[in-house]
Amino acid sequence: MEATITKIFSLEAPIKEVWKRLSNPKEISGCVPGATITDQIDDNNYKGEVTLKFGPIKTKYDGEITIEEMDNDAHTMLLRGKGLDSKGKGNAEMTMNGSAVTTDEGTEVDFKMVVNIQGTLAQFGSRLINDVSAQLMDQFVDNFKKLLSGDEVDNSLKAGSMMGSVVKGLFKK
Amino acid sequence: MIQCKTSKEISGMGHSMKRKEDDRFIHGKGNYTDDVKLPGTLYMDIVRSPYAYAKIKNIDSSEALKIPGVLAVVTGKDLEQYNLHWMPTLMSDTQMVLPVDTVMYQAQEVAAVIATEKYIARDAREAVKVEYEVMKPVVDPFKSLDADAPILRTDKPDKKDNHIWHWEVGQKEETEKIFQEAEVTVKEQMHIPRIHVASIETCGCVASYDKVDNHLTMYMTTQAPHAIRTVFALVAGHVGLTEEKIRVISPDIGGGFGGKVPVYPGYVIAIAASFLIGKPVKWIEDRSENLQADSFARDYHITAELAGTKDGKILATRMKVLADHGYTDASANPSKFPTGMFSIGTGSYDYPNAFMEADAVYTNKPPGGVAYRCSFRVTEAVHAIERITDRFALEIGKDPAALRFQNFIKKEQFPYHSPTGWEYDSGDYEAGLKLAMKGVDYDNLRIEQAEKRKKGELMGIGLSTFTEIVGAGPSKDFDILGIKMFDSAEIRVHPTGKAIARFGTKSQGQGHETTYAQIIAEELGIPAKDIQIEEGDTDTAPYGLGTYASRSTPTAGAAAVMAARKLRDKAKKIAAYLLEVSEDDLEWEPGKFSVKGAPEKSKTIQEIIFASYTNHPQGMEAGFEATHYYDPPNLTFPSGAYICVVDIDSDTFEIKVRRFVAIDDAGHIINPMIAQGQVHGGLTQGIAPAMYEELIYDDDGNILNGTLMDYLVPTAVESPSWETGHTVTPSPHHPIGAKGIGESPTVGAPPAIANAIVDALKPYGITHLDIPITPYKIFKALKEKGVLDKNIVES
Repeated sequence: MEATITKIFSLEAPIKEVWKRLSNPKEISGCVPGATITDQIDDNNYKGEVTLKFGPIKTKYDGEITIEEMDNDAHTMLLRGKGLDSKGKGNAEMTMNGSAVTTDEGTEVDFKMVVNIQGTLAQFGSRLINDVSAQLMDQFVDNFKKLLSGDEVDNSLKAGSMMGSVVKGLFKK
Repeated sequence: MIQCKTSKEISGMGHSMKRKEDDRFIHGKGNYTDDVKLPGTLYMDIVRSPYAYAKIKNIDSSEALKIPGVLAVVTGKDLEQYNLHWMPTLMSDTQMVLPVDTVMYQAQEVAAVIATEKYIARDAREAVKVEYEVMKPVVDPFKSLDADAPILRTDKPDKKDNHIWHWEVGQKEETEKIFQEAEVTVKEQMHIPRIHVASIETCGCVASYDKVDNHLTMYMTTQAPHAIRTVFALVAGHVGLTEEKIRVISPDIGGGFGGKVPVYPGYVIAIAASFLIGKPVKWIEDRSENLQADSFARDYHITAELAGTKDGKILATRMKVLADHGYTDASANPSKFPTGMFSIGTGSYDYPNAFMEADAVYTNKPPGGVAYRCSFRVTEAVHAIERITDRFALEIGKDPAALRFQNFIKKEQFPYHSPTGWEYDSGDYEAGLKLAMKGVDYDNLRIEQAEKRKKGELMGIGLSTFTEIVGAGPSKDFDILGIKMFDSAEIRVHPTGKAIARFGTKSQGQGHETTYAQIIAEELGIPAKDIQIEEGDTDTAPYGLGTYASRSTPTAGAAAVMAARKLRDKAKKIAAYLLEVSEDDLEWEPGKFSVKGAPEKSKTIQEIIFASYTNHPQGMEAGFEATHYYDPPNLTFPSGAYICVVDIDSDTFEIKVRRFVAIDDAGHIINPMIAQGQVHGGLTQGIAPAMYEELIYDDDGNILNGTLMDYLVPTAVESPSWETGHTVTPSPHHPIGAKGIGESPTVGAPPAIANAIVDALKPYGITHLDIPITPYKIFKALKEKGVLDKNIVES
């Protein structure tokens, strides 16, 4: 089943600096909670892992990320990710469009992610996928800001972190 | 009031004797399959497919096998060596035990882990790595017949499509003509969605194969132990497990409702594992496995039509069904009836003509469908009948009760021959509906409704007057896999006047331990508490077809009567001998034979029984024992009139069932309290699909509500206060005039509720809503009609 997540966020840094980091998969993966790049196949293809934990459900996806398009002048990118659940419980596909523009404050980044989940995790429907993806995005943004400001980024998965954030998020609404 | 012929001490028919089995259940001392603990038992857990339709590329058990305590991982390839990877279904289709190359539904069994402990098996299950190649499943039954739909049953070499069978009954041309010429016709498309029996106890077994004796004892949750034993012998006979080497024991069952009739792959894998290892193997499924993989019920897409005159005389009914069976026809019906008793199609009404047809298709969903407390699809039929009847009433502007009275089969017309070939034994539909209307104060309710409507308040009254068809069945028409559907009773009385009686049926909570004893008590005058009832052990019980489709009282109950009467005949001979009179001089009252005109000269049944062991006449067989195999001459036709009153909040559309009156007619009642309990339980399982339950799949075949978090089984909170009553129209052909009752409420309740809700929405022009009807569905329907905004503005 498919879910679309969009995220727009502002950074107080010039677009050149933002884009330099945003277009580097190794730096970016360091900001996605539970993600690691395990191997670089070539300029545009990387192997990686993402571990997701939501309450009692923990899944690890082994997969590949491909940089389909990267325009360093127009500041747009298109990434594709494909992963297999390591226990054979399902698979996930992701297409991400990213772009950055200069604003008065600095830079505004726009992400649009289309995620397609198949298998047991899909039973939980968009309810779970949307919330988890949104949480991933939020934590990514926090980590990316830290990265820009030179702080330490710890993207290890905290136990129950996803669950806690999602539940808190529900109450905020 | 029911007049009892026996004293409270004897407790025959009509007494609300407390259930004998409740003592152990209330004290937590029931003996369920999971309570069976054999020394050396191994545990089995099943690896299941996350995809609805996929090729299996590889199964890697190496990590699982490294875990200490894991003995084996069984796959389809392992079973293939013994030709056990496929097995027959009850409808003569075939079903995978474990797949060799393709999975056909999400949660399908893919491999089984055998370990020394339950939790090791569960951990090992997680360690089995399966590689799949995902394919796009067929989920929509309407699309399964498209020219470009993938052919799912590639295991059938000649299969060119996903069509399973076509069925029809009735007068096609005459009905067509009536519809062409009728003054009024109505038509509605209905979907009765997939639901699940969701019994408190899930399915399971302990398969115990003894290598020394070459003997299999199979403890399992089954509603039909003998039939299952025969099926196992047919499937596994070639490896040496012939029928005399198999013993099936069905202990206490925590709810069956049809869900424990099919042979699930888990049972067969457990037997195979036990056979190969030589130790008992226990498999108990958990709740999500039960909901996601076990046979579902319903899933009929019905186009229902009525044709008649504008003043309400209905002349014909027509129904067309698309039946979604999942990937194989594993439903449980008598073999000549692929749609079960769906052909009851004219219901309680005297329609001159009818035509019904159905087409079944394969989809990538769990196989089935079981007869979930529905008398073999009568629930589906009655829902369509009662909904389209109300639709017709709406069309011609007639009160739904008045329309029903106008078209009912009249009491004098019984035995009634319906246009779809059934001979209804007896019924008094008018009396039932009149009693229900009185109980609910119908006329005043309609007045109240009219006044509420002026104020924009939503109140609805829904009727359901149904005829059930139970007690399968006469040998000339009914069989399951060729075995005729008789049933049996064996009564053996001990010298001290106590008895044990065994039956071919199997209670899953219906109260047989009490009701069968009451039947025998009625016939023989032995107190019911002195009669021990046993079912479920194929080594000792006489052969029977099990309990489902409300068949026990009509078949095994009748067998008990006939066996008891054989004993009474013997008792008469012994009494004549002891009293030194001829049999013609004797008269019987429950428990005693006395001489006509000299009542002080009598013998109690206990004295007679003792004599059968100590002082029987020369030339007569000693002992006091009789068996009877009963072949019912016809089915029995219980009926009911249900009226439901609902109030719907005009802002939130929350539906409140204000009242529900259920009048049932099941002929002579054995135990009124038990009958009432059956009705209460069935009504709750009737409100469930009407308002809460539905199994939902997305386009990829993922089940979206495969846990009790999202599959909404009603609790005490959701259950209305049921008001029950009865009329008594005995069955002329049943030895004690009794009919079945267990399923009437699940059959009759959903349309009563649906009709009430649709009636409440009448001011908005709503003519039909599919169950389950939720506040959201009402909101959506009103929004589509464009009446929603108007309502908000006015209030």
